[in-house]
Parts: sequence; structure tokens; C-alpha cells
Amino acid sequence: MERLLERLFVAAAWLSALFTLAVVAIFIGFLLFRGFGTLGASLFFGNVPIMEAVTGRLPVWHGIWPAVAGTFFLVVLSAAMAVPLGLASGIYLAEYANGRWKSALSFAVDLLAGTPSIIMGLFGFALILFLRKTILPEANVCLLMAGLCLALLVLPYMVRTTQVALEGLPESTRIVGPSIGFTRWQNIQHVLLPASTKALLSGVILSVGRAAEDTAVILLTGVVANAGLPASLTDKFEALPFTIYYLAAEYRTPEELDRGFGSALFLLLLTASLFVAARVLQRAFERDRR
Amino acid sequence: MNQPLSYGGAIRIDGLRVSFSGKLILKDVNLAFPARTISVVIGRSGSGKTTLLRALNRLNECFPGCETSGTVKMQMRDTVVDVYRDGLPLAELRRRVGMVFQVPNVLPVSIGRNLALPLRLVLGIDKREIPDRIEEALKSVHLWSEVRDRLKDRATTLSGGQQQRLCLARVLALQPDVLLLDEPTASLDFRSAMKIEELLLHLKEKYTVIAVSHSLSQTRRLADVVVVLSEGRILKRMSSSEFSEHQAVEALLEAAF
Repeated sequence: MERLLERLFVAAAWLSALFTLAVVAIFIGFLLFRGFGTLGASLFFGNVPIMEAVTGRLPVWHGIWPAVAGTFFLVVLSAAMAVPLGLASGIYLAEYANGRWKSALSFAVDLLAGTPSIIMGLFGFALILFLRKTILPEANVCLLMAGLCLALLVLPYMVRTTQVALEGLPESTRIVGPSIGFTRWQNIQHVLLPASTKALLSGVILSVGRAAEDTAVILLTGVVANAGLPASLTDKFEALPFTIYYLAAEYRTPEELDRGFGSALFLLLLTASLFVAARVLQRAFERDRR
Repeated sequence: MNQPLSYGGAIRIDGLRVSFSGKLILKDVNLAFPARTISVVIGRSGSGKTTLLRALNRLNECFPGCETSGTVKMQMRDTVVDVYRDGLPLAELRRRVGMVFQVPNVLPVSIGRNLALPLRLVLGIDKREIPDRIEEALKSVHLWSEVRDRLKDRATTLSGGQQQRLCLARVLALQPDVLLLDEPTASLDFRSAMKIEELLLHLKEKYTVIAVSHSLSQTRRLADVVVVLSEGRILKRMSSSEFSEHQAVEALLEAAF
């Protein structure tokens, strides 16, 4: 009886793994099937010459280039805010905080991680209304505000991965710094952080990936269908996930729907290349420290 | 226990009690470690050997719930310092009381940087002077000829015995007075262990060496003073001549191994 159960268990485990693989394969296959044909200059720039489009001299109406640029700026903005703050908070939680204070802070991070992104968007929207009524009458939805809300959204990922990475280091690694007279900060800087670069980088990737794909937050804080390239931080913008949503929901021609699939495929490729870039960075970083 | 502390690096412990989260590990330890000798601490697992070693460089405090009372006095050049009370900065204490661990714990950087980092951060040595200091430290553990051409390789590419000697070099580079060795050869093969032992016999001419050992034969080869620890108390402290007496060893075997 027990043997039978064990076999069933093994079979179930195998099937689950296969199922996961199959789902991913079907998903990617479908995207490739529908989207691969559209990949090309015209997907990005429509009928505008590339140089004119990239430099923003001519507006792009029938391509996703403004959305790509918008997503890029969004990701850079939110990462610039969330990564340093998340790293610092993670270090604090792992190495300095203790007792009740630590559990209170951890609870706050969990709460933030559990906040639905639409709520984060609403928060941004409410914040703009508040600013308008108080110190900044000209406040409006914009790139900066969306970046800020996205930063809030991904901050807990960054905090948690940093904390878990540091706390997971073995005792023998933790104690070597103090034993040769390093101060607590020297130990963190020169021993603990370098020993956990891999995990830290995966935290950054996770955060950037999450910021690149989120739609709900930017929906309420400044994304528009045909904004073109953002001229400044206080401008409205386009973004890839919203473009996909918009094209899928409101396409008027089959070409537009195809462009939606092309955008989805490109977003996937973008996220995949982030993983590769992170690995390359990590290798270079390790070589650099020799 | 009233012999004067003579050379730099001699240590005297009085009424030392250490507990972790209320559990008493060391119970009223009184002990002296003379300078320029090798003292070997033996005892069963859990008898408090590691805690005793870590009480000397205050490394116990890196672990949660640690409480220490009693005094640990260390002879400096011309003064005696109570390491728990006289305001000696922790970093300075740990530089003077260097420690090598059971499993070699090199830093996750290159061989050269393993030595350069502490030299720069702890001693504040000038950049131009560092290569000489690295060479000197590596020579003192007979590692220079083996690694001189690969200082930029990661330290983890060295063999276990080489890594342990690198750890010893890292400690020696900081010009300590005392060397604490927590079963330094336990994770090494026989030949590497013998190399470390040879080094220690040589190093005791300059430093106070305090080692924890699990090996009776190693204790015989190295020890000038043997300290037997049992359940957090000193069971016996004896000189090497006493230790070589047959009967004493029989009793010890019973108590400590």
C-alpha cells in the first residue's frame, strides 16, 4: 500500500513538473506564433524613419517605440528609488534591527508586499489630489509620480531579498570580519554584501521585472495611449504593458491586434534579456573584486 | 595563579562566566595563559572550549543573548588591560588577539585581497606598502612560493591546507600578540595538518598561542600547557611534563575524549 502511495506521489510530482513546462511552452509558442512575424522596424517605428523616431524629431503613431521608451524610463526611475532604499532597509533589518522593532518593521514590509497594485495606483492618484489642494496646485499625473508608485510596489521585494540573502549567510562567513577587527559596517561592506551578490542581483531583477510589467499602478498615475515620447518627468507617457492591454482591448484593425502580440513578445524578450544582463553583470562584478 | 604577567600577550582570567540566553556555558573559570608558549585546551564537545577562546577576543558578543562576567586581563607592552572594562576598542582587541577557525574562512575575494583588505581597513596601511606586507605575511606561513604567481586568483581556489595557512597569514599580518586557534587542523588532511603544527611550534617564539584540540597526539606534540575543560569548568591545568605521565593521560582520556 505504502509503495503504491509513494509511486503515485512520484508520478504526481513528475506530472506537475511536466504540466508547468507545458504551460510555459504553450504560452511562449503561442506568443511566438502570433507575434514573431511582426517583430521588425515597423513594429517599433511604424512608417517613421528610425533616426527621426529615436531622437523624437518625428512623432510615432503606428509603432510601440514611445511605449518602449516610456517603460524604460519608468523602470530606471523606480529602480533608482527602490534599489538603494530596499538595499538599505534590508541591511538594516538583517544586521541592525532586533526584537519588537524588527517584527514591527517586517510586518510593515509584508503588508506593503501584499498591497494590490491597483491600491498603489489609487494611492498615487490620491497623493496628486492632495498635492493639488495643498502645496502644489499644478500637480498632475506624470512619469515621476508613476515611477514613485512603482518604486513603492517593488520596494518590498528588494527589502526581502536583501534581508534573506544576508541572514542566510553561514556563521563562518559572518564571523570572519569581526574576528579580524572589521567594524560592523566594514564587515557588511566587504564580507557580507560581496558574499551575497548573486541573491542581491536577483532581487534587483525581480523588482525591475515587476516594475516593467505592472499596469494597474500606471493606469492611475499617468499612462496615456498616444502620449508619444515623454518630454520630461512631469509629462504623461506610454508604456508597454498598457499598450498591450489597450491594443488587445480596443484594436480596430487586425494589424493593431498583431502589433499587440508583437509588443507582448517584445516585453517577454526584454524581461528575459534582463536576466542575461544580470548574470553578465554578476560575473563582471566578481572578476572585478579579485 | 599569582605569577606576574611577564611578556606581552600573557593572559589571566578570573571568575569568568559566560552564558547564552540564560544557559551558563562557562562557570567561574580562573586560568592563566603564559606568553610565548602553546596552551592547548581539551575537553568533550559542549564543554565550552570554543566559548572560552571567544571570550578572549570578545567574539561571543557577536551571538545573540550572550552575557559575560568576570575579568580577562591581557599584558600589553607596559600595561595590563582588562579587555572587558578598560575601553580597549573592539577592533583593536581583535587585531591583537587573532583567531583561526576550524574550517578555513577566507574572504570571498582574491588571495591578495584577503590580506590587503584587513591591512588597509584595520591597520590603515598605505597602498604602496601593502605588497611588501602581503609578501611578508605569506612568507611567515610558508605560502609565498606556492601562491606568488596567482595572488589575483580567488582564495577559494586554494586547497584546504593552503586556505588555512592564508587565514593564519591574515591574522599574522595584523601583528597580533595572541593567536587563538579553534581546532585549526580538524578539517585538514594529515600532511596539511603537520604543516600547520610545524608553523605553530615556530610561531610560539613570538606569540601567546592558545589552541583547542580534539586530538591527543596533537596535544602531545604541541602543548606546553594543557587545560582540561569539563562542563564549563577547569578540570585540570598541567604542564607538558605532567601531561606525559602515564596515569594522568589515562584519567584525561576518560574525561576529555
